[in-house]
Amino acid sequence: MPIRHHTPRRLAAGLALLLLAPVAAACSSTSSTASSTASSTSGGSVTVGESTTLSSSIAELGQTALQGLELAVANINAHGGLLGKKVKVVSADDSATPATGASNERSMILNDHVVAMFGPVVSSVASAEEPIAAQYHIPIFFSVSNDIALMTSGFTKYGFQLVPNTVMEPRAAAAYLAHEAGSTQITVGTFAPNYSFGTSSVAGFIQALKDLHVNYKLVSQQFPPLNATNIAPYLSALIAAHPEYVYNAQFGGDLVSFTQQANQYGFFQHTKMIAMYSAQPLEALGSSAPAGAIGFDRAPFWLAGQQGMDGPGISAFISQFKAKYGDYPSAWAIMTYTAAQSWAYGVKKAGTFNGTSVSNALSGATISTIRGPITLRACDHQANVPEYVGVVSSTVDPTYRLRLWDPSSVFIAQPKTIMLTCAQSLALRS
Amino acid sequence: MARFLIEVIGTLSDAGSLFMVAAGLTLIFGAMRVINLAHGSLYMYGAFLMTTFVGASSGLRFWWSIALAAVIVAALGAVMELGIVRFLVGKEPLTQLVATFALFLILADTALHLWGNGARTVVAPSSVSGRFTIAGAVLPVYDLVIIGVAVAVGIGLWALLRHTSVGWRIRAAVDDPEVLESGGVNLRRLNLGVFAVGALLAGIAGAVVTPQVSVAPGMDESIIVTTLLVVVIGGLGSVTGTALAALVIGIADTVGTLVAPTWASTFMYLAVILVLVVRPWGLLGTPER
Repeated sequence: MPIRHHTPRRLAAGLALLLLAPVAAACSSTSSTASSTASSTSGGSVTVGESTTLSSSIAELGQTALQGLELAVANINAHGGLLGKKVKVVSADDSATPATGASNERSMILNDHVVAMFGPVVSSVASAEEPIAAQYHIPIFFSVSNDIALMTSGFTKYGFQLVPNTVMEPRAAAAYLAHEAGSTQITVGTFAPNYSFGTSSVAGFIQALKDLHVNYKLVSQQFPPLNATNIAPYLSALIAAHPEYVYNAQFGGDLVSFTQQANQYGFFQHTKMIAMYSAQPLEALGSSAPAGAIGFDRAPFWLAGQQGMDGPGISAFISQFKAKYGDYPSAWAIMTYTAAQSWAYGVKKAGTFNGTSVSNALSGATISTIRGPITLRACDHQANVPEYVGVVSSTVDPTYRLRLWDPSSVFIAQPKTIMLTCAQSLALRS
Repeated sequence: MARFLIEVIGTLSDAGSLFMVAAGLTLIFGAMRVINLAHGSLYMYGAFLMTTFVGASSGLRFWWSIALAAVIVAALGAVMELGIVRFLVGKEPLTQLVATFALFLILADTALHLWGNGARTVVAPSSVSGRFTIAGAVLPVYDLVIIGVAVAVGIGLWALLRHTSVGWRIRAAVDDPEVLESGGVNLRRLNLGVFAVGALLAGIAGAVVTPQVSVAPGMDESIIVTTLLVVVIGGLGSVTGTALAALVIGIADTVGTLVAPTWASTFMYLAVILVLVVRPWGLLGTPER
């Protein structure tokens, strides 16, 4: 997913430069302070690595993904390990910086002798890590970052994507809108920070509206700079255009901030926003969650039992996760758990930890996961996972004590309808 | 016209919160000649403490939560001053930066442990969370709260510095600490007080902005860079300069957004360069002798 620019470093001008350079330089190293406990493949254990974003405003994504991996590995070990060996996890913070992610990964491969890598939050980091994994013949699993480029222009036989990609997600949202609007014309606005994930996600959404023949009129497109503190100008421009729907490509804390400010302008009274209103932002927003807004999510724990969230052990996993970490598993945790299950399946099938054999075994394989069977299709290693869409409820869910989605509104976008065909995916590879 | 009003109020509210944070930093620099990179952490702690105190309720509790959060942040500042910062006075700038950056990292990790990695929000009391309409523009009432608090802080600082004996001593310390000390003033105690007041301002700002932002890790880092810009172009040590600079940065940001959205952050830095070319010591700073 997102590319996060770090704190601006274009700090020109004499004194300013002098004062600020140390901050900028220091910030990028904030987190190369890895929390890795060194170990190696020798002596009855193997090591897997996860370098991801564990600090800053997107820390929640990386940290909960890491929890998913750790729980998966704990469960593997509880059942006797893999091929008779215990599995260990090393982790490090990439500060959302490609260079740090790449150097973490190299260090894990060369020093910790990891036999598999679990991918980062940020798509720019993911694209830096993928070729390194291929270079050392180590399988790498992307379960948070979801750039389609990882499986097309950046494809390697060692990369696997367990998350709906940047084509699938906006297509699902557009499909929901197509269903809701029917043939009536709707007015649409978009809002996304001006960086790769934001712009490509918006472009994907517009493309999907066209593909689905939605009768829409684009009335306003806002691309504020990433980390803009004052979004009032963009909000006022959006409000002035009176869109009935606004597609917002923000997520996590940024989406929460937008919602807080937009609430103060009365934005949600006349406009339905379409955004990643998953459990975490809805929990953070509490009573200010905008009822009627359209949310999408990649693996919502509260839909356990529904298609794509109905594999063996899903409820046991959720309660185990809650007991261990004190919170329900995020989509990032769930998807990373299935990534670890996939790797374990590949190892068992190949009968070895050898990265090339494991990757070959996984290509085209159908794996039994807590989400049900997942196929990593052979042509581009994209998992056939659905995307979930629903309307933010005005009432508190009695089970989870959160304002989630209206149960009757839940729409599950089928993988085959939102995935690119193999031919389309291969065409993007060159 | 409506659009213009929205921009003006948005800019003022933004500049207001920036001013509160930057005023604390510049005050500390003025008196102690220490650049505190952990100043943004104090702002973040103000916000996190606010989320803890307000809880799910809203109303009167909201207002005393701001005060309580700010006072605790001031106390935290005092501890920082006693434990670390006072030993940095008069040291090499690089030593100061490294030490306060270490503080920044420690405070960030501590916050992760105390408040977790998720975003939190605070709901303002209904009396100030609505909207008002003026000349066709629909504006958030809470923007006025931020502007009001910033103005009150500005006036309070001005009164403190200009009309009290403590303020006189602080100003004297900014000009020439040695002379002040030879005059029998306990400089250490003065510094402790100044640092706590600086922290208090950061704490107030952090607590006051909570209804408009998501309170999450990373707040410390994003605020400190802009704050340093404001302090530098305002003139290190000048509170009035800081107020002006906060406006300059806010306006540059808004104008940039309107004229060339994809270049908006460049506008901010252009403003900094322009100011520094004309006045290398900042808008209202004085050249170092």
